[in-house]
Amino acid sequence: MDWAVQVENLVKIYDGKVRALDNIDLNVEAGKAFALLGPNGAGKTTLIRILTTQIKPTSGEAYVFGLNVVRDGEKVRRLISYVPQEMSVWTDISGYENLLVYAKIFGVPNPERKKVIDEVLEHMGLTLVKDELVSTYSGGMIRRLEIACAMLIKPKIMFLDEPTIGLDPAARKVVWERLSIFKKEYGVTIFFNTHYMDEADLYADDIAIINLGKIVARGTSEELKHSLGGEVVSFNLGEATPKLELTEEIRKLGFVRDVFVENSNIINVLVENAEVALPHLMEILKNEGVNVGKVSITKPTLDDVFLKYAGTRLEEKGRISDVTHMRYMIKKG
Amino acid sequence: MIEALKNVLVMIELELRRLRHDRTEIYFRAVQPILWIVIYGPVMSSVRAIPTGGVPYTDFITPGVMIQTTTFVSIFYGLMMVWERDSGILKKLLVTPASRYSMVIGRSMASGVRATFQALIILPIAFIIGVRFIPNPAYFALAFIIIFFASGGFAAISILAASFMKTRERFMGIGQAIIMPLFFASNALYPIQLMPPILREFSTFNPLSYVVDAVRGLLITGDLSNLIIDLVAIAIFDIVLFILASISFKRIIE
Repeated sequence: MDWAVQVENLVKIYDGKVRALDNIDLNVEAGKAFALLGPNGAGKTTLIRILTTQIKPTSGEAYVFGLNVVRDGEKVRRLISYVPQEMSVWTDISGYENLLVYAKIFGVPNPERKKVIDEVLEHMGLTLVKDELVSTYSGGMIRRLEIACAMLIKPKIMFLDEPTIGLDPAARKVVWERLSIFKKEYGVTIFFNTHYMDEADLYADDIAIINLGKIVARGTSEELKHSLGGEVVSFNLGEATPKLELTEEIRKLGFVRDVFVENSNIINVLVENAEVALPHLMEILKNEGVNVGKVSITKPTLDDVFLKYAGTRLEEKGRISDVTHMRYMIKKG
Repeated sequence: MIEALKNVLVMIELELRRLRHDRTEIYFRAVQPILWIVIYGPVMSSVRAIPTGGVPYTDFITPGVMIQTTTFVSIFYGLMMVWERDSGILKKLLVTPASRYSMVIGRSMASGVRATFQALIILPIAFIIGVRFIPNPAYFALAFIIIFFASGGFAAISILAASFMKTRERFMGIGQAIIMPLFFASNALYPIQLMPPILREFSTFNPLSYVVDAVRGLLITGDLSNLIIDLVAIAIFDIVLFILASISFKRIIE
């Protein structure tokens, strides 16, 4: 298999005491969108900064397309592009000028330069505002401009650190639509950090959940949710309270993994496949003469997955407003 | 090598584009040097306490004041580096194929561009209040090339400082602490011979003195006897600072 990223026993300790990455092993397949999902302080940014050759690991090895990020840093930098979490464009010049400066730094040859820039502007939907000063852009436009910078060289892999942090849902959707098209068109591998579960769920082909410097779970979104052990069918009995014999009878069914009663009038049944189990369960309840007021099916979310493997829910509010505020301050200079 | 030179030019181009969009800072920064030559110069020259080798005192200090302003611009360029570190710009630049030293020299010389403009706008005002320049375009050109390169060196000092002082507040403090001693222990406002011996010693290591001496010779006195020494000193200053700043540059983002 063609690996875009290979990481072996990677450890990063800051100042001799903060263990940001704790023995990470990770392989990412080329051409896929890979999400590193985890809360604030989990080590996501540290890992991206090591892979993009900005900082050195304390121990362990990391490779990008077979190149060692410490020893072959210069070659790695020719293959990758990177969008940091913080704002990374100059606000006192126009969007086009930002791209022009980066195109020159990346060494895009002169005859192609204009074409390539127009292309990425078009791609990120910025053609109409290209000559405006970046300081007049909205947060979403700035983010799209940053990603446009990263698209200039058609990299083999793009590292995006929280690519949509602080953006409203509509702006996030636009960013991802554009990224998906770009990935499809050029076969670019996308390695992104996020703490938005829905983003990992919707756009990543492959997810690793990271917490406290360790990868705690790995797989596609489906696999991860599946690993929780199934779906929950809840029967709300209204005023009635289920008899103990009834729950025991349900528990004995082959496809049922667990039964628990909530608030004394809701029976929760944990099954592998809720749609298949539902008719059988209804049948039993009917035979027992139980009146079901309401049925609901709950499928696990990545948040539940995170809860199971990391022991906490992904806290997001405080973090987002922090970064939004910082980006705002930076924009105002 | 050619690639590095290209990167330096790109950084200079970036600075020119910024200047084209917004020159407010340059205008405001011009207030202080103008006060020196419009008020301080004439007042001090009426005292006639400072031997200037026959040129009027205001003429004598005009190059010094120009260099002081450009040094200010360059030293505070490091502030922009701290800002670019707080934003993600430096991180992104360091992940491009551009070499680190080309980024350091590029940003330093970009500050040289800004500084050169800063020095240029003082000229007409000095001219209006009666400072007499040597009317030789080649001398003018050389003087501004010297200002350009020397400012690059001072900007490298500020990049070096920025890699140690990671907050703006600390950097503001260190900026002042670098500029004022350089300025007062130089020949910008008075000849070195007037200083106490210890300061005179210090002044031989003060790059500002060499820059002022060269520019004063070219623009005001026409005395070019030390020009070669000045140029060599400035070249050594630039090279040493570029090397030191390149080495420490990586610390900025860590």
